[in-house]
Amino acid sequence: MVLLVGTRKGAFIYTSDGPRQKWKASGPHLKGNEVYHMAYDRRNGTVLASVISNHWGPTVARSADLGGQWKESKTPPKFPKRSGLSVARLWQIKPGGDDEPGVVYAGVEPACLFRSDDGGESWKVNRPLMKHKTRTKWNPGGGGLCLHTILPNQRNPKRMHIGISAVGTLRTDDGGETWKFQNKNVLADFFPEGQKYPEFGQCVHKLASNPAKPDVIFHQNHCGVYRSDDAGESWVDIRNNLPSRFGFPIAVDANNPRRAYVAPLEGDFSRIPPDGHFAVWGTDNAGMEWFRLDRGLPAESYYTVLRDGMVADEEDPCGLYFGTTTGHLFASRDQGESWQRISDGLPPILSVSACRV
Amino acid sequence: MIRVLVTGQLKDLTKGAREVDLETAGDLSGVVRDLDASFPGIGRKIVDDQGRIRRYVNVFVNAENAKSLENEKTRLRDGDVVHILPSVAGG
Repeated sequence: MVLLVGTRKGAFIYTSDGPRQKWKASGPHLKGNEVYHMAYDRRNGTVLASVISNHWGPTVARSADLGGQWKESKTPPKFPKRSGLSVARLWQIKPGGDDEPGVVYAGVEPACLFRSDDGGESWKVNRPLMKHKTRTKWNPGGGGLCLHTILPNQRNPKRMHIGISAVGTLRTDDGGETWKFQNKNVLADFFPEGQKYPEFGQCVHKLASNPAKPDVIFHQNHCGVYRSDDAGESWVDIRNNLPSRFGFPIAVDANNPRRAYVAPLEGDFSRIPPDGHFAVWGTDNAGMEWFRLDRGLPAESYYTVLRDGMVADEEDPCGLYFGTTTGHLFASRDQGESWQRISDGLPPILSVSACRV
Repeated sequence: MIRVLVTGQLKDLTKGAREVDLETAGDLSGVVRDLDASFPGIGRKIVDDQGRIRRYVNVFVNAENAKSLENEKTRLRDGDVVHILPSVAGG
C-alpha cells in the first residue's frame, strides 16, 4: 500500500509492508510547494500531484517512479485569454477510467474542470462549465470558489459528478457537454428564510461513492451529511446520531457500499472536534446509525481534517487513513476500529490518497 | 537589446543562466513571451493565465518595480535591464 500525502510544504510518500503495519517514508517531494492533492494513475504507474507555488503559480507534477523524479506538465491547466479567469489553485486531480487511457481530470479554483488526454502533459478547459449560465452568481466558500471533488462514474463514462464550494453538486450525463445542478433537499441555512433550499449555492465539502455502486453518493456538506440513492437527483439527511452535522471529509468502504466514514467538527464557527476529542465516525447501514471509531486516537486531539485529508483504501478489510492540519498522520487497517499513528511531525496535511501499487 | 536577470528557481528553467539577452521590442509582456519561447514554461511562472505579473513576483525595469510603472505593459527601450525576482511573501 502506498499513501500519497500532500502538505503545505511538499509531498510525502509512505509505503507499507503487506499487512499495512510498518510504513517507510520518503519526502518532502516538491519541497516548499503546497501539494493540494495527489493521485496514483494505476493505468500507467504515474503519481500525479497538484502543486501550488505561492510565487510561481500552480502546475501539475508527475512521477513515474513514486517520487524519484518529478516532471511538470508541459501545458498545465490554464484558462483561455478572453475568459478573464486565471487558475489560482489545483484542488483535485483524478485519473479517468480504464476505458479512457490517458484521460485525467483536474478541478481548479476559480471553479472549473480541466481534462487531459495525454496523461497530464497538456490540459483543456471544460468550456460548458466555464461558461455556465449561472457562473456570475457563484460565490466562494471559505476555501475559495473551488472545484474540489471529481467523481467519474465507473459504469457510465459519460456521467460524472463534481462538487464546487459554495455552489453545490453538479452532474453531467454527456461527457461534460452540459451540467445540471443536483442539490434537491440540501440545506443552505446561511441564506435568508424562504431561500434555504436553492437550486444552487450549497456548500458541499466532499462527495464519495463506492465504485461498484456509483449512483449511491455520500455527501458531507457545510449544513449536514447526506446520501443520494438516485445519482444525485435527490438527497436525504443522514446526520442522525452524529455529534455534529459539520465536517469536511467523507469516505466510503470499497467492499461495503453501505459503510461510510466522516470526521465531525463542531460547526461552523469553532471548527474543532466535539469535546476536544477527535474521532472518525462510521456507519454500516448507509447513515441510519453512526458509531464512534477512536481506539488509539489521543484523548486530547483538537485535530482538523480537511476535505481531502481522509481516505479509504480498496483492501478487505478496508484501511482508513487521515492526516490533520497539525501534521499528524493516522492509519487503520481494520475499518477504523483501531488506529496507529504513522507520523506526528509533518507540515499541515492537505490531502491523503491511498493506492495499491 | 534587453538584458534579463533571473534568480532563484527560475534559473532551473534557463539552464542555469542568470543573464539572458533578448531582442525584444515593445513592453514587458513581450519580454515574458520571448523568454518563454527560449525557455518553455518560464512564462507561466512570471505571469498568470491573463498575462498579469503574478502577485508574488517582482519585475524591475532598471531598478524600478514594474508594479509602480505600468506592470506588464511597461514600455522598454534598448539597453534596459529587467530583473525578475520572487517577492517577499511573508511577515
